[in-house]
Amino acid sequence: MATPTNPFIQPDGKKPTCMEMLQLIIDNQVTEEQRLYFSQHMGHCLPCYKKYNVDMAIKELLQSKCCGGNCPDDIVAEIKLKINSMTA
Amino acid sequence: MEWEEAPRQHYTENEKQLIFNNEFMPHIHSMYNFGYRLTLDRDDAKDLVQDTYLKAYRFIESFQKGTNAKAWLFRILKNSFINDYRKKSKEPNKVDYQEVETYYNSEEVDRLITPDLRVESLKDMMGDEISNALNSLDVDFRTVIILCDLEDFKYEEMAKILDIPIGTVRSRLHRARNLLKEKLKSYAKTMGYNNA
Ligand SMILES: [Zn+2]
Repeated sequence: MATPTNPFIQPDGKKPTCMEMLQLIIDNQVTEEQRLYFSQHMGHCLPCYKKYNVDMAIKELLQSKCCGGNCPDDIVAEIKLKINSMTA
Repeated sequence: MEWEEAPRQHYTENEKQLIFNNEFMPHIHSMYNFGYRLTLDRDDAKDLVQDTYLKAYRFIESFQKGTNAKAWLFRILKNSFINDYRKKSKEPNKVDYQEVETYYNSEEVDRLITPDLRVESLKDMMGDEISNALNSLDVDFRTVIILCDLEDFKYEEMAKILDIPIGTVRSRLHRARNLLKEKLKSYAKTMGYNNA
């Protein structure tokens, strides 16, 4: 049975480690093909599965709790005012 | 994203306004959050954002219309932070850490130092813990986490924003995540997850 080619393999033929694949996944630097390959890989690699879940939980926590805080309206107004005085 | 090499553009006043309003202003909330996460102070963030936008306008002809405005703006803000703010601040000089690019070879060591935090303990963190953990990181580590996780920049963009090689972006992100995890683990412990 032919095994699918690992889309993480570098052009120089270097085979990536679990850690390298996981980092690319967590850092969101992968193609759809790589993402698919990795989710299949996790199905039979417990260390990757565990680390992925913790790392993703942290990432989601960051995204939901540390993005808040819209820029106050007065800054926007002030910037526009200054720009207008520069162009005048 | 070749803003350094891009030839100087020539825009009419009207074009400048259009670029500023349509390409720069939509990023103001991300910029403000970045400024806040860097300085950890709302007023400083405000100054930094304002300063960045005024600079962006002044140098608008070195920006090529329709290219990556967000990365361009982030780079200006980051440079303003380093040149203007960081000098004034009392923040101690950045920790002297080694950028290891061969860190992948030390997986075994890595497994030992990487705390095994559990997803359940993370679920109970209400918000302050993650924010405090992020804010406690040295600013260089904090920055890569913000750029990657909050703003979803690609390695290449981060390398340009920070003026560092891609390999350094990757190793810095890797270390930042480990430090963040250690911090969260210590919070989880105080919350009563003794085996977190
Ligand atoms: Zn694996």
